[in-house]
Amino acid sequence: MKKIITYTTCLIIVLLTFTLNAQKKEVKGYTIQGDSVVFTFDIRDYKFFTDEYSSERLEFDDLNLKSVAVSGEFNLWSRDKWKMKQVDQFTYQLTKKISDFSDAFSWEFKFVINEKFWAEPTKNASNIAPAKDVKGENLYVYNLKMFSAYPDENGNACFKLRGFENAKKVILSGTFNRWSENQFMMHKTENGWEVTLHLRPGEYEYRFIIDGHWIEDPDNPSKRENEFDEYNSLISIEVPVTFHLNGYLNANKVILAGSFNDWSESDYIMTKVDNGWTFTTDLSGGKHHYKYIIDGNWIVDPDNKIQEYDGEGNINSVLMVK
Amino acid sequence: MIYSHNNMYKTFSCILFFLLTNIIVHADDDSIVFSEAEVLSEFTTRIPFKIIDHLIVVEAELLNKKGNFIIDTGSESLILNKVHFDFNELLGKKNNTTSGILSTIDNPLERKLKDFVIHSLSLSNVKSDVIDLSHIETAKKMNLLGIIGFNILKDYEVFIDLYLNQITLSKIDKLGNKIDEKVYLEKIIDSIDFILKNHSIILKGQVHNQSVKFALDSGAEYNQINKSVNKKVLKFFKPKKRLILSGASDHNIEVLAGKLHRVKLSETIYFGPMHTVLTNLRKMNEAFGTEVDGVLGYEFFQQKRTIINYKKEKLYFIDYPLGSY
Repeated sequence: MKKIITYTTCLIIVLLTFTLNAQKKEVKGYTIQGDSVVFTFDIRDYKFFTDEYSSERLEFDDLNLKSVAVSGEFNLWSRDKWKMKQVDQFTYQLTKKISDFSDAFSWEFKFVINEKFWAEPTKNASNIAPAKDVKGENLYVYNLKMFSAYPDENGNACFKLRGFENAKKVILSGTFNRWSENQFMMHKTENGWEVTLHLRPGEYEYRFIIDGHWIEDPDNPSKRENEFDEYNSLISIEVPVTFHLNGYLNANKVILAGSFNDWSESDYIMTKVDNGWTFTTDLSGGKHHYKYIIDGNWIVDPDNKIQEYDGEGNINSVLMVK
Repeated sequence: MIYSHNNMYKTFSCILFFLLTNIIVHADDDSIVFSEAEVLSEFTTRIPFKIIDHLIVVEAELLNKKGNFIIDTGSESLILNKVHFDFNELLGKKNNTTSGILSTIDNPLERKLKDFVIHSLSLSNVKSDVIDLSHIETAKKMNLLGIIGFNILKDYEVFIDLYLNQITLSKIDKLGNKIDEKVYLEKIIDSIDFILKNHSIILKGQVHNQSVKFALDSGAEYNQINKSVNKKVLKFFKPKKRLILSGASDHNIEVLAGKLHRVKLSETIYFGPMHTVLTNLRKMNEAFGTEVDGVLGYEFFQQKRTIINYKKEKLYFIDYPLGSY
């Protein structure tokens, strides 16, 4: 059984947060909303634009804006495939499914106007990375960087570190941002440091970097040894999943049993609805085996063709949470 | 073969192939344990993987080290990362016989694992090369113990499933039949023959009715098409962007990246436009041990849940349950 850590909601001191927000750099260019990535291009965020062919630097007023597109590692820097839609005077948007992004970590991208003018991010964005040309030479401009994980006060994973009042800088680093040593800066609170992230379902490893010194989370007993003979802390991020069994309306009792609850024959009692039976539970990312028990009889999910054998030759239904 | 990409424009192509000769070292307790694997029987195991920059990465423990291995049908052998293993016990060094496409890799050591065990699945006398893979670790920011290639995979039917993010290894007999009967439940919807040339899976396909020979390589981050392929084929390659490919050392080559349209392997097996780079495959042909016009990599497996049977020289495909969850 996988260890699951339940994260309690952070208590955020409104005044402190307000002050911090005033000083904080923001993530620009995208937000993650549910299972979608929303790319947002706000003209006001960009001071100048580079002509791809002449390398000339132009201001927005110099451009006769016809189109805006998202161009990045995820679409091989296509200038015209991911066109954005204008939503108001200053803003363009494009929504993509998170599942369109096959990698788990990060992608660099930029906005491109009229298929040739690159909008240059300023240093005010927290998610910037130095851009390089095809030979790996520094271009002295930035790309925006998109992570499947990002800081969000309403996010689903709150990381807290007690103490270390005298530290100058505390960073959260983990598999969710490929162990970046500067991206997720933690904020000082009354009794320590914290940051809240939005993470996709899955299992992650992380550590804190306190003024350059790496430590595991002292308050998290769930950890694993790493290659430096130290420990990485572990978290599991869950999402609500609804199981639905069609029909069987004459049954008295239907139980959902699976690898997620140690195949308990009594815990997850399904609720009868108009067209069948339903049950919602939080599951971590990855593969889960399950079956229904209808008045004592075990069945696979008749509406799910993904099935696997277990080690004893029994057949289970399979659910993949990504 | 391994191709990895670094930051914005960089694409690394760490092309590794090896001539296996020379020193053979016997060691006890050479067993690989996949801690996350589901062991179905003595002959079948399912190993979950992560995708890191289009590479298929499994977690395993070998010689008291725990870390990541890349599953790479383009590599001939098991490759161990010199950075993580103490090979003082090795009897000597192999001469400079290993070469990459773009460079020569320094003095690979080779050892032979006496008993390579996948859980209870045991292989005897597996050859492994020992080289420095730290450039991949740096580019990918990941710990990497090694690369699992053809000489491990060939004795199994190998189901690479990018829907359930797992690889199923099921031992096969001399004729290529699975020893276990109860391995998969999902229906095989299609199949195609391939030719095994040395360690490479060679597929005869078409691009808009022109014959094209592809190598299938789970370690290829992007598909590739050879510059010298028939012009009628290149008409269906729509370039978008220049990229840098670099090898094990710092030698770079510039390539065009774009999309290849109308790729077809049979009347029923075809693909939407696939991300592809235009490269000079002449030297890579040495790595594959045969002439090829192109390489099918990550995107092939992303579009097709694929079972590889090396003995029968056949690929089988399982339906992709789009929209089921």
